[in-house]
Amino acid sequence: MGVNNLVKKWLESRDRKPESEYEEAKRKFEMAMGKPFITLSLEIPTGFEKFSNEFLKLEKDYQFHEEVKDLIKKHLLLDSRHKKGS
Amino acid sequence: MDEVQIIFILIYLLTILLSATKIVPLSIAAMIGALLTAFFGLIPPYNVFSYAEAMGFINIRLIFLLLGVMIVVEVAERSGLFRFGALYAVKVSGGNPGVLFVSICVISAAVSVFLSDPTAMLLIAAAMATITKLLRYDPVPYFISAMIMINLGGTSTLIGSVSNMIIGLEAGISFTAFIGYLAICEIALWGITIFVLYMIFKSRLGEKKELPDYNPWESVEDKKLFYRSILILVLMVCLFLTLENLGVGPEAVALGCAVLALALSGSDPTEIFKKLDWETIFFIAGFMFVVGGLESTELLKDLSTQLFQTVGQSQLGATMSTLWFSGLASTAVSNIAIALTFSPIISGVSVLNSAAVWSALVLGTNLGGATTPLSGAVAMMAIGALKREGISVSFSEFTKVGLITSLIQLGFASFYLIVRFNLWV
Repeated sequence: MGVNNLVKKWLESRDRKPESEYEEAKRKFEMAMGKPFITLSLEIPTGFEKFSNEFLKLEKDYQFHEEVKDLIKKHLLLDSRHKKGS
Repeated sequence: MDEVQIIFILIYLLTILLSATKIVPLSIAAMIGALLTAFFGLIPPYNVFSYAEAMGFINIRLIFLLLGVMIVVEVAERSGLFRFGALYAVKVSGGNPGVLFVSICVISAAVSVFLSDPTAMLLIAAAMATITKLLRYDPVPYFISAMIMINLGGTSTLIGSVSNMIIGLEAGISFTAFIGYLAICEIALWGITIFVLYMIFKSRLGEKKELPDYNPWESVEDKKLFYRSILILVLMVCLFLTLENLGVGPEAVALGCAVLALALSGSDPTEIFKKLDWETIFFIAGFMFVVGGLESTELLKDLSTQLFQTVGQSQLGATMSTLWFSGLASTAVSNIAIALTFSPIISGVSVLNSAAVWSALVLGTNLGGATTPLSGAVAMMAIGALKREGISVSFSEFTKVGLITSLIQLGFASFYLIVRFNLWV
């Protein structure tokens, strides 16, 4: 490891605020200024354990994200119609 | 210099070395120093101080002041007050990069009047990362400028920085006197620094773009807590200004407001206590003990006498040497350590013990903190936040801007002190 890398590593170690606090603060600004977003934490459905590799890949599957967005649209529309009806 | 003095100066230097290099955390560095001080000070054959004397090394008023202010500010931060300020500052720019730059600089300095520098940097860095990504601006000018302004903010108030609290209590400077000595200087420094930073970064600020449509009010989750936080902050400042005439110390005001804030916030107090900056509190307590030990050896008194002989009766010499020495020392060593070391030296000599010299120490310890990436936690955080956004800033690029602004600020501070305290006479 070169001297530059050592100095860089040492400088980084002096950063006092943990990354999670920064990410949390950033999330709040993104929510306020940009498009609101949600983060879901979903477990693999029971009985599908043998598909765990495929399940984990869904996190970065663009096509899957679009399908979830469509599901959200349907849900929000149905929800608003239901509220208007009642 | 006798054997005891050599031992205690070595303990002091070891503490400075450990805290400056961060081989161990700041608090541990100071407590190692305190432990060695207690060992050599209390144990025969040295017996430099008694146990009762050692108990007086830690200024409990300072610890109470720090705790009180930290609790009030933590409650205010939870209310979203400072985030609202940052969102509003972005909104008023209307997407004009020049106006955005100036408003970010101003809000950075303004929030750091209350928030600790690392907390203010975290908040502003998060805002900067979001807005520069949305508008596709180069984040470097905004991050570095915000860092420099956060370091500058709060220079003229007793509670604006930890070093100010140390100096204010040691010198017996009241909240009002602090503002009276330094407010004009700080306001002028804000203007000068923003102008210099704008000239440096003008070509990198980006083009005018449309801002996303958002309402800063929507970011405030608990409006009741938001208004209560404003009320407590205003009340705290009003009490600082009024109760000093009745002989009530600032630590009593801060603690009283902290109790009020805890009672009105409705938050779990243990959650608030967890978020306090205990690292800084333990660092201060440990370092005060090290300096207390050093004082017991009469070394600081000798140093004061030597300084007195060097500067003679010259207020100008004493003020300028304090300003520049503390300013330059703060570029490498924690400004808290510099304030704790200089305070007993200045107290020890009558010619040094003047408003001009204390003001010089305040300015020096505050202004040197953003010169290089090694100067303080806030500089580290700015670089760390940029790295998380995938941008690296070289040591030289950072230092070039930090050095230019620090030298200009110290230069202006010299001029201000000479004029404000009639030092040329």
